[in-house]
Amino acid sequence: MNLERVVFGFFVILTLSLNVAFVAGSVETVSHHNVWILTFTIIVNLVAIGLKLGDRSQTGALLLASGLVAGLLLITARVVWIIADPGSGEGPGPGEMADIVSIATGALIANIIATLILVGDTLLSRR
Amino acid sequence: MTTPTSDLDRVAMIVLRYMRRPLFALLFVYSLGIVGMALMPGQVVDGETTRMNLFHAFYFFTYTATTTGFGELPNGFSEEQRLWTIFCLYTGVIAWFYAIGSLINLVQNPYFIQAMDGFRFARKVKRNAEPFVIICGFGDAGSLLARGLSDHRMRAVILDSDPERIKALGVRDYTVPMPGLHADASAPKYLLAAGLEHPACQALVALTNNNDVNLKIAVMARHLNPRLQVICRSTSARHEANLRALDNVRVVDPFEIFAQLLYWAISRSELHNLNAWFVGARGVKLGAPVKVPRGSWILCGYGRMGHWIHRYFGTHGVGLRIIDPDVEAKEAGEDTRLVQAHADHAALVKAGIDDAAGVVAATDCDADNLSTLLSVTELNPAAFRIVRQNSHENQVAFDAARADLVLQHSLTTARRILKLLISPLVQELIDWLAEREPSCTEALVARLQAVVGSEPPHLWSVRLNPGGAPAVTRYLDNGGEITLGELCRDARAFPEALPSEVLAVRREGQSIMLPDRDFSLAVGDELLFCGVYWVEPMLEATLHNPYTLRYVVTGVDEPRGAVFAWLEERRRRRRRDHELNGRRPGP
Repeated sequence: MNLERVVFGFFVILTLSLNVAFVAGSVETVSHHNVWILTFTIIVNLVAIGLKLGDRSQTGALLLASGLVAGLLLITARVVWIIADPGSGEGPGPGEMADIVSIATGALIANIIATLILVGDTLLSRR
Repeated sequence: MTTPTSDLDRVAMIVLRYMRRPLFALLFVYSLGIVGMALMPGQVVDGETTRMNLFHAFYFFTYTATTTGFGELPNGFSEEQRLWTIFCLYTGVIAWFYAIGSLINLVQNPYFIQAMDGFRFARKVKRNAEPFVIICGFGDAGSLLARGLSDHRMRAVILDSDPERIKALGVRDYTVPMPGLHADASAPKYLLAAGLEHPACQALVALTNNNDVNLKIAVMARHLNPRLQVICRSTSARHEANLRALDNVRVVDPFEIFAQLLYWAISRSELHNLNAWFVGARGVKLGAPVKVPRGSWILCGYGRMGHWIHRYFGTHGVGLRIIDPDVEAKEAGEDTRLVQAHADHAALVKAGIDDAAGVVAATDCDADNLSTLLSVTELNPAAFRIVRQNSHENQVAFDAARADLVLQHSLTTARRILKLLISPLVQELIDWLAEREPSCTEALVARLQAVVGSEPPHLWSVRLNPGGAPAVTRYLDNGGEITLGELCRDARAFPEALPSEVLAVRREGQSIMLPDRDFSLAVGDELLFCGVYWVEPMLEATLHNPYTLRYVVTGVDEPRGAVFAWLEERRRRRRRDHELNGRRPGP
């Protein structure tokens, strides 16, 4: 067992899980989506990216790329939230909420790809 | 291009010259018809005679001359215009038929077809970027060689003077494209069209049945592209001497190869077995050589091949009796028993078939060889029967004859050339083993059996350069050291070895045969592997991935990311400091 794999696997799978937790629910309903979960997803995703920096293997490069895509989309979703929030504590309107959730769903795809690469690489190396 | 006129120029010129008159005829008829139609007075509208403008006249003539016939367009015609229409119709249609007939005639012209074939062939070769080999002569050996190259995904460009053979080439199911041209291969023009100066051209193989033509091809190739490897078939001593004077030319004598293989089969059966297993001959099991009796042999047929066999047997002390109708006593030497007859019943008895170890039926006639086999079976069923097969077409008859060993010289030649082209190290290894004790070969066979088992062999070579093995070259450039045994470890089950053997290493033009596990590798080495099929992709991963390589060399799975690399470095440093402090208390 390799400690680095444990740590990296933890962060990648946690990003995926948090991303699903944020996206789940009706697209336009504000109460179904928690801004704290979105923020945590971004932080965990950034840690996963940081762990992959310096890896010179091919799978490492692909994992870094998918992590960057997910990070870009999640941060975009968070920025849209900030702009759309009127500050009254009610959160963004249904139209803006739909935008935020669809961008976060895009990030979900990148996270699924990263998890598949991680699992596939581990299964193929068979040790 | 080095030639002043390319094939395209020639084709274009032939077309222009052929089509000049028909085109002029069309031009003349069109001009006359169009001008006439424009001049003809049309229907009278509002008291004024209308006329067709030139564009309408051209439109009308176009659909009339090509017999499309839309009718009276764009307006109804007057009687004068209808009269002129009749004239236009007959002349225009005749001119068109004339032009089309000439074109069809041109397309069927054999010279034109040949020029077009040459042009298409040269274009196909020029556009090809994959490495390829030029084969001159597509007979039995040539087609077997092409088949072997196709099995190894290697492309070939084929020249043959027989159009039937090139037609046959078109219907073969090769795995890679193999363009062929019916042309005299000794003409430099066609050698250039076949890609003699192409940067991807790997070698030229001259395999025609004519020694003069082969010599000419080799000489042309040496002049046109001195760095190209040339392999040339030769069966005469005079041509061979000429060829050996040229450097970079490898002479292959099918009869000598045949005699050598025959000698190995008889006296070095373990080596013959290994060689046959390497080339993937049918029904060969590694470590189960054919049991050949010792003693004196009878050779039927004393032609060029018979001479080679006699020479090989003589130098290695194998007794030989010769049966041949035309043999001269002084030719064969003093101590050889001769029978001047065809190899029939009586001749075999006279040559002493009863106490002979075996018979080699090696005339250049398949029917004679097969009938000799029948006589031998009748006279001495215990005798070992080796037969020479001349024509590939007679395969079924030779299979049915159940000889102990069938040697086909076109096949042995094709295999030898294939080995020289695909993996020259294999042939070097076989030659190296041939010079050593049989126990050396037996030891190798035992090692290979342990590694590969009963599976067919998979041979491949790896070059330790930045393209083929980036991880290894970087590791070595950074001052690391890798031994052969370390490289061949299985990353899934450290420190067990992958089921493969390194047969040879080529370093700076020198070959090191059967290196041991402690052999230290260097950048630029070429390694020849023999193993199970799936080992190649596994080894590929080790050669390309620096982490896998480091793991198989050291057994430590190093951190990949910068964060963990830093943590690891810090931990190591702290431990070292700790050790230093523990040993030597501070002031």
